[in-house]
Amino acid sequence: MTYDLIVIGSGPAGYVAAIRAGQTGLKTLIIDKKYVGGMCLNWGCIPTKSLLESAKMMKKVRSAHEFGIAGIDPDSLSFDWPQALKRTNQVVEKLTRGIEFLWKKNGVEFLKAEARILSPTQVQADKRVFETKNILIATGSRPAPQNLFEDCIDLEELSSLKELPQAPLLYGRGGNLIELAQFFAMIGSKPVILASKLPMMPYLDEALESYIQKKLKKDKIPVLLEAESQIKDGMIVYKGKEYPFDKVLNISYRKAILPPMDIELELENGFIKTDRSHNSSIAGIYAAGDVSGKGFLAHVASAQAMEVIEAIQGIVPPQEERSYPVNVYTDPELAQIGLTESEIKAKGIDYKVSQYPLTTNGKALAEGTSEGFIRVLYETKYHEVLGVQIAAEHATDLISEAGILLELEGTTYDLARTIHAHPTISEIYMDAGKVE
Amino acid sequence: MRYIFKFPDIGEGLEEGKIIEWYVKKGQSIESGDPLVKMETDKVVTDIPSPKSGILAVLYGGIGDTVKVGSALVEIDIPGVDGEAAVAQAQEQPQVPSQEAVDEKDFAGVVGTIEVAGDGAYLPSGDEGRPAKADTPKARKALATPVARAMAKDYGIDINEVTGTGPAGRVMKKDIETHSKSSASINIHVPMPLASASERTRIEPLSQIRKTIARNMLRSKQNTAHMSIMDEVEVSELVAARARLNEALADKGIRLSYLPFIIKAITLALKDHPILNAELDMDNERIIYKNYYNIGIAMDTPEGLVVPVIKDADSKSLIELTKDLKDLMERAQERKLTLNDLKDGTFSITSYGSIGGYFAVPVIAYPQVAIFGVGRLSEKPIVKNHELAIGQILPISMSVDHRIVDGAEVSRFVNQVLSYLKEPLLLLAHEGGTQ
Repeated sequence: MTYDLIVIGSGPAGYVAAIRAGQTGLKTLIIDKKYVGGMCLNWGCIPTKSLLESAKMMKKVRSAHEFGIAGIDPDSLSFDWPQALKRTNQVVEKLTRGIEFLWKKNGVEFLKAEARILSPTQVQADKRVFETKNILIATGSRPAPQNLFEDCIDLEELSSLKELPQAPLLYGRGGNLIELAQFFAMIGSKPVILASKLPMMPYLDEALESYIQKKLKKDKIPVLLEAESQIKDGMIVYKGKEYPFDKVLNISYRKAILPPMDIELELENGFIKTDRSHNSSIAGIYAAGDVSGKGFLAHVASAQAMEVIEAIQGIVPPQEERSYPVNVYTDPELAQIGLTESEIKAKGIDYKVSQYPLTTNGKALAEGTSEGFIRVLYETKYHEVLGVQIAAEHATDLISEAGILLELEGTTYDLARTIHAHPTISEIYMDAGKVE
Repeated sequence: MRYIFKFPDIGEGLEEGKIIEWYVKKGQSIESGDPLVKMETDKVVTDIPSPKSGILAVLYGGIGDTVKVGSALVEIDIPGVDGEAAVAQAQEQPQVPSQEAVDEKDFAGVVGTIEVAGDGAYLPSGDEGRPAKADTPKARKALATPVARAMAKDYGIDINEVTGTGPAGRVMKKDIETHSKSSASINIHVPMPLASASERTRIEPLSQIRKTIARNMLRSKQNTAHMSIMDEVEVSELVAARARLNEALADKGIRLSYLPFIIKAITLALKDHPILNAELDMDNERIIYKNYYNIGIAMDTPEGLVVPVIKDADSKSLIELTKDLKDLMERAQERKLTLNDLKDGTFSITSYGSIGGYFAVPVIAYPQVAIFGVGRLSEKPIVKNHELAIGQILPISMSVDHRIVDGAEVSRFVNQVLSYLKEPLLLLAHEGGTQ
């Protein structure tokens, strides 16, 4: 028996590809050595958001008295780590069951085993050899190992801790690191960030990066630069000041997890090199998600996976890369889509920026979440919106409106003309659209 | 019951028609087959007959209005039909009524497919190569992004003509850029302030006939490999023969032009060169040879070029051809040609010389494969028996589709035609025979 497709890895690239493959009539087998749902469901997107929500709730409860709720003593609050984990696991379980149900419904077979690619048409797993017409490698990535500290854990191991550290040292770079630092700060720990390099989030517009840097400063979360720091007596010394820590979390930039294979695939910086249809250097072997080194975001992985199935069905994706939102679940959240200001400058486009703060937004003020702003970047000729950046409590949801706008090549006029309900946070779009 | 008669699909490719004249009034009693309205379509001006007998209850549209195929034209009250029958009739397809239960009265030419052949011949005016229209103008708003719309307006591009590559065919800004680049070299748009339009230019919408001519010309140039040949023939004998014949036929009121002689010469030669009376069917990789000789004659009318067809021209005498030509010419001027007059041409002749012009490169009436052009007859010095003499010189120009007609073949064909014109008695030698 020959499969049409064997998917290796069941994260947001793999499981989406398998479901879509089943829906379109491909005989599909998905293999994962550990989890259903990969990092996204098991220790990435979903669990971290669930844990962050617990921390944000704690922060809110701490300021409950401002909203007229008496009887809560902020000093008596403590973070119940096991309970926060329990709730998180319930959320994860529900979602994993959902995926397994969808696989079954669409005729996708699932095998929990380690897969080995023997040839472009053969995959070995569970001591058996499976024949297939196509292979999708969706094995994801893990943080690059660091050599500054002897002992460290990564995000995957965080949930196995019985107790949370009091002064965690967060080493690395990227949005996850800032999210985690704020998480620890909100629940009352004293996190320290040791940044391997600045900017912390090079894929974000400088406006968002500098905004979050200020926010960290305001929240008294120290950001130390690796190049200017020394490790001495179990402490970091930075600019003459000592920073103690009791646990190191490695949140470094990511490295591809390659499945064992007897074939040779062309790599690029350690990631599987793919073309626009996500085909690797061997025809019929595709790669999507982190393992191909493009995006490092669950929704980008899923979008690539959909294109892989289309490619197998003979549909060639459009040449230009599509724009996708980049979300960071900090406090307040950061979100952006389209081009950043420096990208627009590099292209030599005449542009303007319309920036609007949340401090005049009725709903934000009422909710006590008026921290943040919107930035709409548009070219000056037709006023086409080229990029949108938001810092706001629910920026990650607000950005969707900009997604449609960019997909449809919309202008600031369209933003200004669209009637937005009052009072809503989304009114900031309309306000930002009213230019000239 | 009330019967709604919708403007029928009277032929291939027709989408709309313009009301020229109503023959009927509201409240009038009509019989099935009575003409209701005179419509100008892409091809012709034609009468639309009533499919039913009854009382006219509603007339849709005034003179000059454009009616889409499938839109209601009239409503007819039919006495004595109700209940299920009424429902059944009301659900009939729009084009069905015109094809059934219609009395034949002068109607034969309207129903049925219309061939685009027969109306492509003209003198080129140098505007070949314009980009093909993506589609006929759509009444619906084109699906396009806001930026694409703004850009199209800016560039002066009709967004309906742009092929969209976005989801569901949405026109994206990239499509406008591509379109403007592809048409820039040949279709330079100069934005024109409307205020000055009245002073130095005049804007007129295209007539249906002009739209058809434009489409057919472009189609011919895009689908065939034009090759042209030109020659001259001394026709003193023909001039003399025609003069004698006209003298003899004067009391019958018949006056022959040169065209019937040329038609005779061509139909005779076509029988020896069947590839010039054929059609190339690329889709099925075959050649369709036609054993009938329907000769299209390009005619100038105030509205533009039409190419009515003389059917079975090979079996008609010079006198019959003259009568046919006169009839078609008169009806072309009065815009009374039917679709039947225009279809099924197998070869075309354009005699531009009657207006002026010596040589030309005529455009083939695609899917035909050849067109014969006749220039102005004039006296010219010739060499006869090693001496200068005055000759009657007829210039001819011929275009063929080089994909299936080879150069040698068309030269042999032209030689044969010219030999008949040079010695018109030869025409007589073949008259009535099958060879």
